[in-house]
Amino acid sequence: MPTAPSASSALPRTFRLVAGCAVLGLTLALSACGGSSDEPSTDGPQKVTMWMMKDSVTKEYLDRFKKDFAATHKNVTLDVQIQEWDGIGEKVTAALASNDAPDVIEVGNTQVAQYAASGGVKDLSDKKADLKGDDWLPGLAEPGNIDGKQFGIPWYAANRVVIYNKDHFEAAGIKAPPKTREEWITITEKLNKGKNQGIYLPGQTWYTLAGFIWDEGGDLAVKDGKNYKGALDTPEALKGMEFYKQLQALGKGPKDSDEAKPNLADVVSKGDVSQYIAVPGNVKLVEEANPALKGKFGFFPVPGKTADKPGASFTGGSDLIIPEASKHQDAAYEVIKAFTGEKWQTDMAKTMSYVPNKTSFAKALDGDAGGAAMAAAAANGRATPNSPEWAAVEATNPIKGYMTAVLTGKDMAAEAKKASDNITKTLTK
Amino acid sequence: MSLTLPRALPRTYRPYLLIAPAVAGAAYLLVYPLVRNIVISFQRYGMGELIRGDAKFVGFENYQKILGDGEFWTVVWRTLWWTTLNTALIMVIATLVALMIQRLRKVMRILVMSGLVLAWASPVIATTTVFQWLFASRYGVVNWVLVHLGFESYENYSWFANGPATFAILVVLIVWQSVPFAAITIHSALITVPTELYESARLDGASGSRMFRSITLPILRPIFGLVLSLEIIWTFTCFAQIWAISKGGPDGSTTTLPVYAYQIAQSLHRYDLAGAASTVTVLILVVMLIAYARQMFKEEADL
Amino acid sequence: MTTTAPTTTLPGTARAASAAPAATAREPRRLLRRLPLNLAALLTFVLSVFPVYWMVTTAFKPTQDIQADTPLFFPTSFTLDHFSKAIAADGFWMFWRNSLFLTFSSVLMALVVALGAAFAVARLRWHGRRGFYLLVFMAQVAPWGSLLIPMYIIARDTDMLDKLPMLTLIYFMINLPFTIVTLRSFLVGIPVELEEAAQVDGCTRAGAFRRITFPLLAPGLLSTSLFGTITAWNEFAYANMLIIKSQDDRSLPVWLSSFSNVFGTDWGATMAASTLFALPVLILFLVLQGRVAAGMTGGAVKG
Repeated sequence: MPTAPSASSALPRTFRLVAGCAVLGLTLALSACGGSSDEPSTDGPQKVTMWMMKDSVTKEYLDRFKKDFAATHKNVTLDVQIQEWDGIGEKVTAALASNDAPDVIEVGNTQVAQYAASGGVKDLSDKKADLKGDDWLPGLAEPGNIDGKQFGIPWYAANRVVIYNKDHFEAAGIKAPPKTREEWITITEKLNKGKNQGIYLPGQTWYTLAGFIWDEGGDLAVKDGKNYKGALDTPEALKGMEFYKQLQALGKGPKDSDEAKPNLADVVSKGDVSQYIAVPGNVKLVEEANPALKGKFGFFPVPGKTADKPGASFTGGSDLIIPEASKHQDAAYEVIKAFTGEKWQTDMAKTMSYVPNKTSFAKALDGDAGGAAMAAAAANGRATPNSPEWAAVEATNPIKGYMTAVLTGKDMAAEAKKASDNITKTLTK
Repeated sequence: MSLTLPRALPRTYRPYLLIAPAVAGAAYLLVYPLVRNIVISFQRYGMGELIRGDAKFVGFENYQKILGDGEFWTVVWRTLWWTTLNTALIMVIATLVALMIQRLRKVMRILVMSGLVLAWASPVIATTTVFQWLFASRYGVVNWVLVHLGFESYENYSWFANGPATFAILVVLIVWQSVPFAAITIHSALITVPTELYESARLDGASGSRMFRSITLPILRPIFGLVLSLEIIWTFTCFAQIWAISKGGPDGSTTTLPVYAYQIAQSLHRYDLAGAASTVTVLILVVMLIAYARQMFKEEADL
Repeated sequence: MTTTAPTTTLPGTARAASAAPAATAREPRRLLRRLPLNLAALLTFVLSVFPVYWMVTTAFKPTQDIQADTPLFFPTSFTLDHFSKAIAADGFWMFWRNSLFLTFSSVLMALVVALGAAFAVARLRWHGRRGFYLLVFMAQVAPWGSLLIPMYIIARDTDMLDKLPMLTLIYFMINLPFTIVTLRSFLVGIPVELEEAAQVDGCTRAGAFRRITFPLLAPGLLSTSLFGTITAWNEFAYANMLIIKSQDDRSLPVWLSSFSNVFGTDWGATMAASTLFALPVLILFLVLQGRVAAGMTGGAVKG
């Protein structure tokens, strides 16, 4: 449609009005939420923001800590933000690269190395003496240490054990926890009756699978020359998966999901789960969700192939870091010092049944059933392959896809080969 | 940035002033990031570089790596298949629905239109969550219906553990979300066809299919072009639904290009490779749409 | 399943049911002939409404009904538990307010800026017009999913991280190209002669625009702003990436995603949250339904 030339001769006032609105809108938009986050760091109490992972500690423990910390540190206010594990890599990276990062961040021991290597984390080597870090757990201290510099401060560790419902065991006439895999399968079959789930094992708990694979003498990835390569397709690893499949079938765990979705503690708190695999502290969360289950749970280490040795288990844990971009690094260090010091480590060991960050604190676990089971399991504790790229494998996690494929009836050998190739590719990137 | 227009200003400047805010916005929020993305695609840019900001140029290394990776091409083909399948289904179903609405009486028409608008208006995140619930392995309605139709094997079936099944669910979701817009738009165009045209054609003894071909189709052509190109863009670049439902899995079977680029960037922290992948993605999309853009410019004398 | 639909409580259906008997009495044979068509219409209605219906009813059902072995298609008992659980979640109203602010401000900006640009393209002659429009058209395919990292870098370097206005600007930019393209086609579709005739009748130029063009443009403004609203209301990736430390500035989609993490398979609470999330947009759409359809016609027909 040809436009009459006269149309362009003058602009309607509306447009000027509208244009004015645009500027107004823009300014409004820019000013409306401006000074929300920054506050001067000179006078008054400093606000320290800490990122803590969901379910790391109970609310009760955290409240206790906060109260005590506020009483002893008048110049610091602590704001704890709870983060989800799902998608945490992106979030921590975004935080480390920002100009105003959270001041303390909890990072998993398998992930701390890549952050430390990135240059966004404050070097805390000179604090090691102050923190008396000579007997830190190596499984936590080493991943946080790059080229002799200590970036990650060990916080807590935990091995996964089998948690069982004592009432269910009694009702099924089971006197003692199983010592071997065969016994374990037998009693689980017995428990898996009626409304009860013999064992709640989601299909994608890959570190549980890792334990079974280690028991068979295999591994997730092995060093081949200077690179790592995936090893899920070795005969040993396939045997481990075979056992996982057998066990997983004795309950209603979703085949296509891990323990976060649905939340493990929520599932167990419904009361129909006879056994599940988790760190002992998980029971505290279950009891918090459903007080009726208080005192109902017992613990035993994941049974091994033979009765003389418990099954291998994955040692998980967390380090605490201070981002370079934190604006309150000194105050942040105060928070770390409190969390990793004797008082709160001992409290944590008792409350959460975690392994404290130093061997000298370990006596705090004496007399704790979960702690005893964990100590037994820890004797055969293992870690993920020590490659700086391992975090990338966890981020896309081909192991999870592999497990789901096998559990839903795909060919195990072919899927294992595919997943292994995938791991190899990620580790050599 | 003042947008008021002084009266004395020569009239030739006015159009440029009018587009100035759009251009300024695009320069800061679209062109600059795009250029930045292209620059990154020629650098070594990982987590360390993002944090420290000391990236080195590596030439075409990232492109070589991406283009030489078999997985990338699998993803490209999957994306094209995904786009074709979705847009074809959307266009066919939407046209049928539009033609159906045209023939309906008032009450039914309002009913169907309300339903379509309801589906259209529901926020993607909400409906995506609903679809997960519909296909949930336990208590999911779909499994229940299938079991009661006699397919016993769907008892507690895990849809999202199976590649083709997840792909199919995503197609259903996208089609369900997209058909209302397309159908309503096509229907709106249909009712602009003067009824006299049909009447005179009927008097001339034209059959129904003949009338569809020689009257309806030509009039619908421009709108088909528009809807088609929009649907291509939307399904090709669709990310949120796939990410929310499957994160590209299981086993990569629902990984399309946008998901692929996101995985490389966010999970592997290889922003350089992701930059290269997304640059290639844009090129593919532009090539796909260039035909439409040319057609549009040819048809509109006004441009 | 289709035949059971009229017994639902949806307003549209009730009308359909009451209108049916009269028609049956009058012309049974004709109705029979129209049966397949009406059945197809009903099927379309049920298919498009069911997911939304299921979301809302699940949100109101007691948990034991949600987890019933036989799904309850027509809930017998209602509870508000899930809603109170959703609302009681930390900061719900704050996130609601944030989303409202983001949506409103970005849509308003896009409309205002696009109107100027669309006017320049549709009504004025100037050098670079074709090129500008081509770029706007192409900007619709901008790979927003892959611009996350560059946008993050830009936001960081201009100190706009953790600030809602940055998201406003991004949503504005995401919506701008589509808004310009649509508004342009509306403007082109409004004959300049109308304005001129009004001027002859004694209107000023501005008055002519306000009284003649603007009302005709209203459906276009309406439909583009609805589109913008949906985009901004739904956006997740940028909101998740650019709001890092100031958690009070999170938007509803980010909250909803963490909600499904927090509540796991508590589908009742998740569906309640989804319903609350969908509600504003649904209301907006249903109120404006007729105008939206009309709006799409005007814009789309001209392509």
